[in-house]
Amino acid sequence: MPTLVSVFDLPSNTASAVRKLKDRGFDDLKTYSPAPFIELELAEDPKPSKVRRFTLIGGLSGVTLGFLMQIWMSLEWPIKIAGKNFASIPPFWIVGFELTILLGGFFTFFGLLIVGGLYPKRLDKHYDLRFSAEEFGVVVTCDERDVAEVEALLRAESAKEVTLADS
Amino acid sequence: MAPPATAVADSLASPERPRDSRANIDIMAPTHGVQWPYFLALGAAVLGVLQALTVLLYQTYVGLGVAGYQQPVFWGVYIVTFVFWIGIGHAGTLISAILFLFRAKWRNAVNRGAEALTVFAVITAALFPILHLGRIWKLYFLIPYPNQRALWVNFKSPLLWDVFAISTYASISIVFFYIGLIPDIAIARDRATGVKKAIYTVLALGWQGTGPQWKAHSRSILHLSGLATPLVLSVHSVVSWDFAMSIVPGWHATIFAPYFVAGAVFGGFAMVINILIPVRRIFRLERYLTEYHFENMSRFILFTSTICGYAYAAEYFIAWYSGVEYEQTTFWLRAFGPYWISTWCMITFNVIFPQLLWIKKLRTNLPFLFVLCLFINLGMWFERYVIIIGSLSRDYISGSWGIYVISPVELSVLAGSFCWFSMWFLLFLKVFPVIAITEVKELEIHARDHGGAH
Repeated sequence: MPTLVSVFDLPSNTASAVRKLKDRGFDDLKTYSPAPFIELELAEDPKPSKVRRFTLIGGLSGVTLGFLMQIWMSLEWPIKIAGKNFASIPPFWIVGFELTILLGGFFTFFGLLIVGGLYPKRLDKHYDLRFSAEEFGVVVTCDERDVAEVEALLRAESAKEVTLADS
Repeated sequence: MAPPATAVADSLASPERPRDSRANIDIMAPTHGVQWPYFLALGAAVLGVLQALTVLLYQTYVGLGVAGYQQPVFWGVYIVTFVFWIGIGHAGTLISAILFLFRAKWRNAVNRGAEALTVFAVITAALFPILHLGRIWKLYFLIPYPNQRALWVNFKSPLLWDVFAISTYASISIVFFYIGLIPDIAIARDRATGVKKAIYTVLALGWQGTGPQWKAHSRSILHLSGLATPLVLSVHSVVSWDFAMSIVPGWHATIFAPYFVAGAVFGGFAMVINILIPVRRIFRLERYLTEYHFENMSRFILFTSTICGYAYAAEYFIAWYSGVEYEQTTFWLRAFGPYWISTWCMITFNVIFPQLLWIKKLRTNLPFLFVLCLFINLGMWFERYVIIIGSLSRDYISGSWGIYVISPVELSVLAGSFCWFSMWFLLFLKVFPVIAITEVKELEIHARDHGGAH
């Protein structure tokens, strides 16, 4: 299938192009950006990120693990300290809190790796050095009969370059 | 169907190698090339670390007696310096996480340096409780691990809370630092060659700045900021409870947690300024680290200095108002006892000198700021010295009072800690961009797109 690689200068033009491409049903597209821009993100995928689920699961696992660990260990070798109960909840909040943050943070990192597809790998064929400079890329794969329409649409949104990469 | 003529024309054209962005060139510049002053500084730092290591081997062989500990002071310079470095580490997370949540855009130019500083300061701080153990090979006793006697650590002890707080803080700071670095490592990867490229390729984790990657990245930073904000407030609170949970006069105070957190932010910002001023000058980063950034950090210093001043005053007031003679004696001796120099240095450097920052001209005078922040760092070290040594050396029973004298071994390790910290920071400067390139670009491109409007 033909792939059109377009290059933009501004995020607003890129976002507008993405929005119009999606409206026309050209969903097989990928964007490249040198920095995060909310308008581009909303145009491409306005749904909430799944990373938050990882954070939540990590945090809940941390607090649960923290309390269970302390309660079990305190009961396994019961020593009366400062007149407190063997499993005394108030002081356990400190370690419980720290483990909430620790596992929440680690799970967030793993969420980033999984959701963002981050692992050492070959870069995309159409990835360009300019996309880590200051330019934006929109790569659209479409049917041959739609190439002219997609190109016209990209150019109408101020694409400074449109290249037919595969056909 | 034949492709449109224009697209073919573009694909046949052989464009020149595209010009790189100015931000990429300027900010990556410190990572290229070798300058002899850099290696001189790195060499001095490594030598400083080696001398401290040698002294530590001696201390480990002979015992903690060489470290100046003597009845009744058994928490000395190592714990003072531990609290000092932990405090230094607080500015990084404050700038990265709390100012991020407040959408303070000026943080974009300073957050990377501050985050690096946090990581290296926490790594430095974490060494000191280990050195203070004496028998460092017993370190694993601090960790709740299954053992033959099923004897576990004491979760009701603030010292164990500290183990969890510091290790969590170190871990989260490293994760935060690395996540922020990924897009910039990809920039370095795209422009590097040879071994450097191979290393950056692994560390960049296939980053290309695609939509899903940016989305996951932005949300990760947001969630980590949400987690790191209470964490940064908790860490120095937990450190303060090492003291406040005891009944030692001068330590047993409820004000300790906010007092320590404000002091940590105060000292941390001073260290950020002390590091970024020479970095800006040496690596010609004036376009990115402007006077505006230093003025904003100065305001933080002024604000937190005032909180410290209030805390110092409140401590004295409460000691007087409590009517407890032990508290009153402790605070009288802090000001007029054997450690009076430390106390007055602390008050002068931390409260009186920073008041000069009310003058706008001085807030943007970088040589003045640099010198002021050196004094603040000294003052913050003295603050911990006053709290720890002042209280321990003057206990409830006057018969057990004693005088603590810093030993050459401790001074050597103290100097070594600064070299250790500097060594890591210097290495960081040569490997990673000291300013977050993508965050700077975000502001620049946004301004270009929207004419500077938000």
